[in-house]
Amino acid sequence: MSARPLRLRLVLRDVGAGAAFASMAVSGQLPLWTLGLFGLALALALLGKRVFARRAKLTAVLLLGVAAVLALQVMSGAMNMVVAACAFAGLIAAHRMLSQPDATADGQTNLAGLLMVAGGAALSGDMVYGACLIGFGVLSSLALALGVVEGAVPEGEPVPVRGVLRPLSSGLAFAVAGAVAFFVLFPRLNWTVVGPRSAPGLGAATAGFSDTVRLGGAGTIKGNPRVVLRATLTPDPGLDALGAYWVGRTYDTFDGQEWTSVGAPQKSGESIILRPGSETLVHQRVELLPAYGGRTLVALEMPARLGNALVHTSLGTRRTVVQRLGGGEVRFVESGISYTYEAYSLPPNAEEGSTGKLSRAEHDQLLALPEGLDARVAPLAAKVLDGEREPLAAARKLAAWLQREYGYTLELSGEVADPVADFLFTRKAGHCEHFATALTLLLRTQGISARLATGFFGGERVDGAYLVRAGDAHAWTHVLVPGRGFVTVDATPPAHRPTQSSAFVQRLLALYEALESRWRNSVVDYSFRDQVDAARALVRPPRGSEERTPSRLPPLRAWVTAALVAAVVYRAWRALSRWKRRARPMEATRFVDAVEARLAQGGPPRRQGEALEEFSARLAREGHPLTPALTPLTRRYLEARFGDRPLVTGEAARLLESLNRALEADAARRRAP
Amino acid sequence: MNAPAPRTFRARLRAWLRPPRTLRVTRTGRTYLVVTFGVGLGALNTGNNLLYLLLGMLLSMVVVSGVLSERCIGDLSVRRVGADAAFAGEPFAFRWAVSRKKGHGFALTLSEADVPLTGEGRVGHLPPGTEAIVRADLGASRRGPMRLTGVRVTTTWPLGLFAKTRVLPVEGLLLVYPQRSFACREPVTSELGPAGESGNPRRNDGTGDVTGLRELAPAEDARRVHWLKSASQGKLLKVEREREERRTYQLSIESGLSGDGLERRCEEVAAQAHRLLADGHEVGLDTPSTSLRPATGTAQERRILQALAWLGFEDTRASEAA
Repeated sequence: MSARPLRLRLVLRDVGAGAAFASMAVSGQLPLWTLGLFGLALALALLGKRVFARRAKLTAVLLLGVAAVLALQVMSGAMNMVVAACAFAGLIAAHRMLSQPDATADGQTNLAGLLMVAGGAALSGDMVYGACLIGFGVLSSLALALGVVEGAVPEGEPVPVRGVLRPLSSGLAFAVAGAVAFFVLFPRLNWTVVGPRSAPGLGAATAGFSDTVRLGGAGTIKGNPRVVLRATLTPDPGLDALGAYWVGRTYDTFDGQEWTSVGAPQKSGESIILRPGSETLVHQRVELLPAYGGRTLVALEMPARLGNALVHTSLGTRRTVVQRLGGGEVRFVESGISYTYEAYSLPPNAEEGSTGKLSRAEHDQLLALPEGLDARVAPLAAKVLDGEREPLAAARKLAAWLQREYGYTLELSGEVADPVADFLFTRKAGHCEHFATALTLLLRTQGISARLATGFFGGERVDGAYLVRAGDAHAWTHVLVPGRGFVTVDATPPAHRPTQSSAFVQRLLALYEALESRWRNSVVDYSFRDQVDAARALVRPPRGSEERTPSRLPPLRAWVTAALVAAVVYRAWRALSRWKRRARPMEATRFVDAVEARLAQGGPPRRQGEALEEFSARLAREGHPLTPALTPLTRRYLEARFGDRPLVTGEAARLLESLNRALEADAARRRAP
Repeated sequence: MNAPAPRTFRARLRAWLRPPRTLRVTRTGRTYLVVTFGVGLGALNTGNNLLYLLLGMLLSMVVVSGVLSERCIGDLSVRRVGADAAFAGEPFAFRWAVSRKKGHGFALTLSEADVPLTGEGRVGHLPPGTEAIVRADLGASRRGPMRLTGVRVTTTWPLGLFAKTRVLPVEGLLLVYPQRSFACREPVTSELGPAGESGNPRRNDGTGDVTGLRELAPAEDARRVHWLKSASQGKLLKVEREREERRTYQLSIESGLSGDGLERRCEEVAAQAHRLLADGHEVGLDTPSTSLRPATGTAQERRILQALAWLGFEDTRASEAA
């Protein structure tokens, strides 16, 4: 091997290890100090500073110390075993990167990278993992190949980097394609996928529900574009923007500063029924993502049944039970990174009919007012309503008035003594919680039962599912209408109900979400059922295709099949052409055998042991009539046999034919008198 | 001593049974396969699709590794350039010329197949259409003719996980000279004084000190003419110089020797011949099968070494000559 290792090879090796570490780091489960240590090691390695090169044993002891720390954290329950193992693999790779770059260190770095990628598969289900996997595979393979060639190049000679990269790049492209083919075709023996569906990610969770809603503060959440909920609806409304209310819980008690609700925790089970169902319920398959950060189930208004829940943790996926709490809240009993559950809700514009299972105390709280409520609130409501007593009409009248007279702002003055009075009479601007609180209290001052509801408003369609972002967090009012139950009335101006984040950021995130959705559906959730469906689709058209307008063009699979057949035919044609053009072994020998056989049959007699060239030369000296045919034939034989000029196709037959004609002419001449 | 078995049945059977390619897993490859096995078990056990994806990647790399290594050694042609002189027991330079018509070759290791020769040559990159000379320091444990049947070409390209080997059939013969060991005793047969015209020490045709000038006789070498003196005297004068004493030795190997005794005697005679010839003496050789007349120079040493190398392998020599 060359005295100095190829710098490009080391850079590729180190960056490959970095990609492997990133495949674990995107899960967000690694301790921050391991991220820092590995990042520092990677930076030093890329700068060529192998600071552990002369202190291999001492630094190995340090590594053992780090392993002991990780083991203590595992035994104390502060860290998961898998996470600790992954973190230790990362630190081993970091140590090896900073060591003397020899063949052993290279092998150990690549091995640690391989283990890190495998650990990343256990920790993360994100699309970034796929990119990291490909990055590690490509970079480490290039480093390995350069190392192999570098080891065979004599010292002092340059390593043919370009020559190596070209064939290896095509090989790696085939490897990636082969990996995809294996992934698609290898039969899944597991019917259920228990790997991690998603990781908590690197950012902190920003949404979630608490037991109270406190007015005041700044509404920074409205600018947060992170996706917290993904839902698939049946029947599919087919709208790009759903614009629906996703309720999490309700509040019925306001003390002047914050909302709470009465009601004690109730039963728990795999499924909770909130309202009587019907056949027209909207089914929702909901996934609460790590950015959600809470345990409260969310469903479209008005939820009737929730349950059939799975909790995804770092150790895998398992079924969990849910519990009903006060305020109509349904909560997961177990904590996890993300959740999946099913919900059934009343269809839009459907009437609830009754208030369900509200207790007497909860009914009474729907009219409760805070003790220190500003005395100007009730006259204001009466003035706006102007004698309107029908609850829904009154609520809509007040909502329209609030939307018209009050402004929406996320910049608030912070904590104030009476946030309702501050909103209604001083600032006359606020966010959704102020609007909803104001409407609820204005209605209650007029004897109309109402409560505050919180959740999300929106629903952006991406790849067949609806996404809800953290910025879609919202509050609105439930008005109790006799005979119809609770009806949603939203006092917030419509333009400010969904997320207030940047449109550009939203578009970027929508694109990422679409890719992530494809990744999740095609890779993470790929199962034996998908394989069966794919196989079935090959032999029969997909279900529902007959309902679509028939295209005049052939279907896609016909094009694919035709392309495959064309490729096979082309390859066969190429192979056949090469086979026909191949240099046949011993062709010159067979040719001279044929010549000698013909000469033996009808030619002049040859002397014992006389070679063809000697025979030809003798005939030429004697002026024999066969000479014009035999001389070029002999020359071509010698050229083909010894001169590296093989006979071309048909040349042997042509020469033999001329010899035959000459022999026949000679025979005829001899027969002539 | 037995001849090196020109294609014995065993050798032919081994060559016939040898697969066209042999594959050996390297140390890195063993680790890689163990990890691949573990990932496969994990994928099957957990159903984690990402592990299936990783497993597919690892297995694809194995397949691609096999394809690329096959493309690397599939279209090679090798010829032997050979060695100037191969001595038993000491490394000697050996060369092959390796080329390929199309496609690049990487990390090729060349060695002789099925013969007791140690050592290998390496070439890092073999561009298409060029012939590379690969040099190796080989070692042979014993003297004698060595029938070469093929050149073993091995590559660990592309990832170093597997070493794929192919044996290209290239027939040849390598004559290994005996090792020149220490010669502790003087050769018993030595002749002082003149032995023919060239051995007369009184001849002033050497290259030592000038002893005088005399007129150039007919048919004498004109290169010895002293042109300055000849011009002053008006006749051609020849310079006479002293000649160092040269002895004539007739080395011999007694008949009836075999096994280690023969080997030691061959090594001793080779060493004696080398030393005597280096001192400028004339050396000849008598063996039970060959007799070489005394002569000087490196050509004579080569002839003596060849005779010693063939000693005991007369049957092979006869078949080679036929």
